[in-house]
Amino acid sequence: METVAALANGFMALFKAGGETFTAFVTGIIPLIIVLMTAVNSLIKLIGEERFYKLAKKATRYTLTRYTVVPVLAIIFMGSPMCFTFGQFVEEKYKPAFYDAAVSFVHPVTGLFPHANGSELFVYMGIAAGVQAMGYELGELAVRYFLVGLVVILLRGIITEKIYLYLRARDGRQETKEAGHV
Amino acid sequence: MYKSIIVRRGSGGWGGPLTLIPTAEKHKIVSITGGGIHPLALKIADMCGGEAIDGFSSAVPEAEILAVVIDCGGTARCGVYPKKKILTINVLPVGQSGALAKFMTPDLYVSDVKETTLDYADESSVQAALLQQEDVDAVHKRKDLKRKIDAARASQKRNIVTRIGITIGQVVNKFYAAGRETIDVTIKNILPFMAFVSMILGIINASGIGNFIAETISPAAGSLPGLLVISFVCAIPFISPILGPGAVIAQVVGTLVGAEIALGHIPVQYALPALFAIDAQVGADFVPVGLSLGEAEPETVELGVPAVLYSRVLTGPLAVLIAYAASIGMY
Repeated sequence: METVAALANGFMALFKAGGETFTAFVTGIIPLIIVLMTAVNSLIKLIGEERFYKLAKKATRYTLTRYTVVPVLAIIFMGSPMCFTFGQFVEEKYKPAFYDAAVSFVHPVTGLFPHANGSELFVYMGIAAGVQAMGYELGELAVRYFLVGLVVILLRGIITEKIYLYLRARDGRQETKEAGHV
Repeated sequence: MYKSIIVRRGSGGWGGPLTLIPTAEKHKIVSITGGGIHPLALKIADMCGGEAIDGFSSAVPEAEILAVVIDCGGTARCGVYPKKKILTINVLPVGQSGALAKFMTPDLYVSDVKETTLDYADESSVQAALLQQEDVDAVHKRKDLKRKIDAARASQKRNIVTRIGITIGQVVNKFYAAGRETIDVTIKNILPFMAFVSMILGIINASGIGNFIAETISPAAGSLPGLLVISFVCAIPFISPILGPGAVIAQVVGTLVGAEIALGHIPVQYALPALFAIDAQVGADFVPVGLSLGEAEPETVELGVPAVLYSRVLTGPLAVLIAYAASIGMY
């Protein structure tokens, strides 16, 4: 009988630990996220997507902004996965690189703007929870994650663009396309 | 010879039944499941006399797609196609969820579909499905009319008090809508993931698996070469699309690394490079879908997928190096 009781206690302990973790998540993370998300969502609705469209469309022309400002604004305003629809304003040959830059920012954005990708918060938050448990503030990690993310998506955009153009040239598609235009 | 079939949901599924009516212009079953054509897509194509296509390696114009077969765990893909009004068949038991949940309706989406839930359609259900399509068109027309009437009303002149009142009303409505959207996301996406992560963490911490992880994974995640290896493995072109869906793996690994940081097994200054190391595969499973959302041509998708996957092998470890350099001076 005692063994059975001990087993049962051990079994329950597994889930009690989980329950405590859940309470910590719900009381520690959820209230902040709800208020922050509501604020950012309201702001986006007030500014309106059209205004952001105009600005971002212009910015697709230059390499530097195409892989930084445009994807970041698209993600903050439209969230994942609708941000990828913004690829329609990008020139055809830059679309794969634009996608790569945009998708690579869907997690770095969550440190500061969790509303943009509510279903994938734990890439950042899982690690951030550990940093917080060690007694550090999260602001610095969130800001640096965001900034390094910017640098990384710019490099990814440029490198993927080069690889795509190389693959396309090797495939001989460029010539046929141009011939078609003439 | 084309045959119409009915796709019903499985025991744990949601939505449907969908009636697929193949025609000469519209008979392609596109499998967007990462790693070849899903057997279910083959079976459906075989039954209806259509053609099964791997949406990952070749892109299909939307007008030719009869239905898509996906294996989405409930974050993004499951809503993308219903939003485009394309019939969507999910092999996993996932209901209305993810960022685009509101577009997933029973007339466009069905889940937990197995070969046993497929059936040939009889004449009456084909008629019913065709009728329903017409209904949808009629509803759209009605909505159009209503919009025109509203617009006409709005253009009438109003006095200043009414206008202020309406403006305030609109602003308050926007705040309220923002709040409702937030609560929706919290309940549908954030809380379920927290429940899942809490359960895993609880079991790991209380059962002693945590010590095992601390001895095996922590040394790798707690050093620069280790992190570079992790990012490289995540970015290998035939592994990255498998690790991608819903970022579930990245999220679980992130939580594990966080737990190890909390226990002091991984130095806290590795938090930033680790964030990039465990995420080298981000979106690698989603390239064809993301590109088609951006209205890319099918040829662009064909070469765009390998371009992104090859690029990650280079930029995955590169991102870790940049993050490592950028974390100097933090904590």
